[in-house]
Amino acid sequence: MTPGVSVDIGGLRLGGPVLAASGTFGYGTEVPLLERRALGALVSKGIFLRPREGTAPPRIAETPSGMLNAIGLQGPGVEAVVRDYAPMWAEWDFPVLVNINGESASEYGELAARLDGVPGIAGFEINISCPNVEQGGLYFGNDPRAAAAVTESVRKRTKLPLWVKLTPMVSDIGVIARAVESAGADALCAINTFVGMSIDLNAYRPRLSFRTGGLSGPAIRPLAVHLAHQAARAVDIPVIGAGGIMRAEDALEFLVAGCSAVQVGTATFVNPKAIAEIHDGILGFLEARGLSSLAELPRYLPRD
Amino acid sequence: MFLLDASIMGRRQVARGMFVIAMHAPEIATTVRAGQFVNLGWASGPLLRRPFSVYRADGEHIEVVLKAVGLGTAQLLAMELGDRVSCLGPLGRGFELAGANAVLISGGLGVAPMPLAARDARAVGMEVTWVHGARTAAELCAEAGGDRVIWATDDGSQGIQGTAVAASPDAEAVLACGPNRMLAAVAERWPHAQVSVETYMGCGTGVCLGCAMPLKRGGYDRACTEGPVYRAADVDWGALPSHLAYAVGT
Repeated sequence: MTPGVSVDIGGLRLGGPVLAASGTFGYGTEVPLLERRALGALVSKGIFLRPREGTAPPRIAETPSGMLNAIGLQGPGVEAVVRDYAPMWAEWDFPVLVNINGESASEYGELAARLDGVPGIAGFEINISCPNVEQGGLYFGNDPRAAAAVTESVRKRTKLPLWVKLTPMVSDIGVIARAVESAGADALCAINTFVGMSIDLNAYRPRLSFRTGGLSGPAIRPLAVHLAHQAARAVDIPVIGAGGIMRAEDALEFLVAGCSAVQVGTATFVNPKAIAEIHDGILGFLEARGLSSLAELPRYLPRD
Repeated sequence: MFLLDASIMGRRQVARGMFVIAMHAPEIATTVRAGQFVNLGWASGPLLRRPFSVYRADGEHIEVVLKAVGLGTAQLLAMELGDRVSCLGPLGRGFELAGANAVLISGGLGVAPMPLAARDARAVGMEVTWVHGARTAAELCAEAGGDRVIWATDDGSQGIQGTAVAASPDAEAVLACGPNRMLAAVAERWPHAQVSVETYMGCGTGVCLGCAMPLKRGGYDRACTEGPVYRAADVDWGALPSHLAYAVGT
């Protein structure tokens, strides 16, 4: 018998534990060769109220086992999402959450209010961790009061499931995790990219035009497993692990470390079928270990 | 679009440091259009795939042309016949071929999309002039196509001394590929030219937004999806990075 892999993330039932991370799957229409059966949920590219052009090139640079990106949340703005994408999402058999961004706590709330009740939108992921915007982004994510204020502002405007994506650029992720839990978050995602920099020795300047970028890929995985574990120990709400997951074994590390689900991002750039392969690999692992469902997977989650 | 494991079937040198690699990729070989590209990845290779214009396609095989410019391309060149490469493609928007005649202008590795362009242009009855330039005779790609061939070298060691752009005649359709600064010169002389641009790419499929091309009308689009072929006048050449190796042609 195929092991059960459906999961409940803060009131949202997902068919599987492998989710597409924001910014790595567009709005769900761009990734070729998509195998929908394997996708637990899609988190849309991050959006703002208004359209944004994004940063000047070069926007990406490869580093050992990783990549730096500074896209700058290029996007069409909320009205285009409501008009062009939500109607399509409403037809799909997996939930789509919108990754929301703002330059102030009230802007996040405004965005949630505009999207709340629009058919096709199953919930929100509050992005307080994007390193590539001048205003907002991770500056809300490394202060517990600001993080809670943004979460409260959105919570007041919607009853839909609310996830908060945390930045690793903090001294104690547990403090931020508890702050957003108290402010009404239904789940957390740990973690977004690390801030990094790489220098072009021919030009004597940074390789990215934005100077810094978010580091993703296998290079950050052990750091991410640790931070997701720390977050899971700090709160009672589910934690979705993310950071450098390329294979099923990587995803299972996060799950054993206390996460309820995982997000896959950079791996999709390399292999458009990565999510399906990771999903199938988790099934195979459970089967091989004689586990009848994901709930039976032993977790390493000591409480303090 | 196909994702397949392609065996390396052959390798030959076409200029100093420049090689053509042939791969067994039947689904791509039969569907690729001139100017489209494939994104290649391989075990033990770098994290991200590397994009290559399809150089030739026939029957069940495609070819790409490359130089060892970094660790990734060096690994690809070191592969043995029969080794497998993960091949994603065909990707992007290629050349539009219409009119009585075409000039195909390339500089250095910019020769990459031109053999396929020559084949497809001749297939629709166009008369094709092939113009290829490099710094020296040794760096010219030895393989050419079309009805007439013009060579250009910076040092005059073969063909006309000067740039490929300067050596090129006018034509109804102008197709060009090479360093950004060469393409900017093409845009000055033939705003309607179709140019194939090079940029860093992440996914190659339109998702990551890493290959942003600055446009004259403002904003960016994706070289991997709306490109890599652009109308020369549509690109904001001044906003492209000018310090990168591919921009200056080193």
